[in-house]
Amino acid sequence: MKAAAFDYAKPKALSEALAMLAQAGEDAQLIAGGQTLLATLNLRLSEPSMLIDITNLDELKGISVVGDQLRIGALVTHTEIEDSKLIAQHAPLLKAAAPHIAHRAIRNLGTWGGSLAYGDPAAEWPACSLALNATMLIGGPDGERRISAQDFFIDLYTTSLEPNEILIATEIPIASSNQVFYFHELARRHGDYAIAGLALVANKTGKVLSDCTFTFFSVCATPIMAKKAQALVDGKPLNDELIANAVAAARQEIESIADITNSAETKQHLIGVLLERGLKHLIA
Amino acid sequence: MSLKKKITMTVNGSIVNAEIEPRRHLVDFLREDLYLKGPHLGCEQGACGACTVKVDGKIIRGCLFLAVQADGCVVETIEGLTKSGALADLQEAFMRHNAMQCGFCSSGMLLAAAELVEKQPKSTREEVREWISGNYCRCTGYHSIVDAIMAVLEARAKGEKMKPVVALA
Amino acid sequence: MELNGEQLIAAPIPDVWKGLNDIDVLAKSIPGCEEISRVSPEEIHAKVMFKIGPVRARFSGKLFLSDVIPDQSCSMAFEGSGGAAGFAKGRSRVELKPAEGGTLVSYTTEASIGGKLGQIGGRLISASAKKIADDFFQRFAKELGGEIAPLESDPQAE
Repeated sequence: MKAAAFDYAKPKALSEALAMLAQAGEDAQLIAGGQTLLATLNLRLSEPSMLIDITNLDELKGISVVGDQLRIGALVTHTEIEDSKLIAQHAPLLKAAAPHIAHRAIRNLGTWGGSLAYGDPAAEWPACSLALNATMLIGGPDGERRISAQDFFIDLYTTSLEPNEILIATEIPIASSNQVFYFHELARRHGDYAIAGLALVANKTGKVLSDCTFTFFSVCATPIMAKKAQALVDGKPLNDELIANAVAAARQEIESIADITNSAETKQHLIGVLLERGLKHLIA
Repeated sequence: MSLKKKITMTVNGSIVNAEIEPRRHLVDFLREDLYLKGPHLGCEQGACGACTVKVDGKIIRGCLFLAVQADGCVVETIEGLTKSGALADLQEAFMRHNAMQCGFCSSGMLLAAAELVEKQPKSTREEVREWISGNYCRCTGYHSIVDAIMAVLEARAKGEKMKPVVALA
Repeated sequence: MELNGEQLIAAPIPDVWKGLNDIDVLAKSIPGCEEISRVSPEEIHAKVMFKIGPVRARFSGKLFLSDVIPDQSCSMAFEGSGGAAGFAKGRSRVELKPAEGGTLVSYTTEASIGGKLGQIGGRLISASAKKIADDFFQRFAKELGGEIAPLESDPQAE
């Protein structure tokens, strides 16, 4: 199906984009990679009167290391993350997760910022940004503000972004030398929306994990950390018993929501499956 | 409301100027305005891969890309890539391994395969299968397509080139 | 799709009942409500713009009230058309009970969503419906001047 008619503008600077957004209001939608938006427009599930193309904004581009922070611009594509040497070195979780996103042609256009701004519960980047303790940089009419990933994802498709704001970039603390990670996504076919997924990050010494984060996605309205399970594991040598306790804790503390193909009980079960595989993988 | 926009792009090596509605997808512009029928329309959702074309050296879904977004870009379709010989060994392998029947998926499949061969030349069979899972084929059952791509990867790894028998468009 | 829930609203039952039947309060409580009018004591028409993620679907809907027991309970049948996006219909039952701190509003809903929104959005229908219901009650409570009090049994409350 074809989209309904709309006007199109491509601002050259962030200030211009913000001004356009303020003026157009609810009738305009931002387009970056467009891999979610254009599919939506093609089905006429939305009929904005205008698209504001933000792909020209230099402030939103690039991957760099500033001090002990890895900065990823909102316009960085999934493929750029997949291929980046800086990401491989400083946030290898992202390199592991990237190939799970749809397929290559989508990854060549879809963006880091777009995925974060929509906050789809099945998306990889919201979960990874939470797992890596990211800070979001947001531009608005009153200037820039910062907010941690913990506070950024509020509800289903609801982030802290106001309608007149644009996500500029994120900052992630660069990986320590003993950081380990595990990323896994269960789906019927490669590239499908995940049924359940896990992004696990920790510092590891011997069989002891510390500062560990177990972030599950596609089980609730937002990515969610299994904090009680994390606390159980933190600082103690991993063995079968501890893993079993952590698995039970994670299953108990997270209240899953069913979706069209899987019941809440299935999701509950899979949370445990993923955590068990992850922890066992890390001490193998 | 839909004021037409003036755009300029390079398509298969030639400069193209046009005035089009913003909502027009790149694949529709290529097919209907430029009569390049190589890329096809399937789902218009980005899932089937039939509309895959190359923009600035990368494969993209022509149905999830507006023609206005291609302003200033270099666009290549199966027609141009055949003429330049860029797909010659893949096309030869596809023919040898019977990787086409109705041909509807083939344009997208070849473009996707070409990016794999270029960017990830050490792919295993499993990785090839995952890579092309973004292109649907209703006829072949996929095995012959994977065989063809593996054959090209192996030949290139040995520094061999398959002699193209494909007639130029 | 089923949606059942409970909300504790820090306001007395008569106020809550009045609010649920007040068109102006509903206009401010329903997220995305653009128009609302009472056609008869039992029938309400409304236009609501649903915004979830990239989707912006404008629904024209009708609500039919029945089995009305003032200050206690009522049943509702609703149907809505989202134009090219799809359609929705269902029924709901709302009950008010006195509770410590105010009024306990419990609702049970059965709904079906058809058309493209159902096909594409089916993945997240339950979660979306729950979010819309939660948003409604947040705004409704604010309109009444009270607050939503987290229930003891609510596991998401921290």
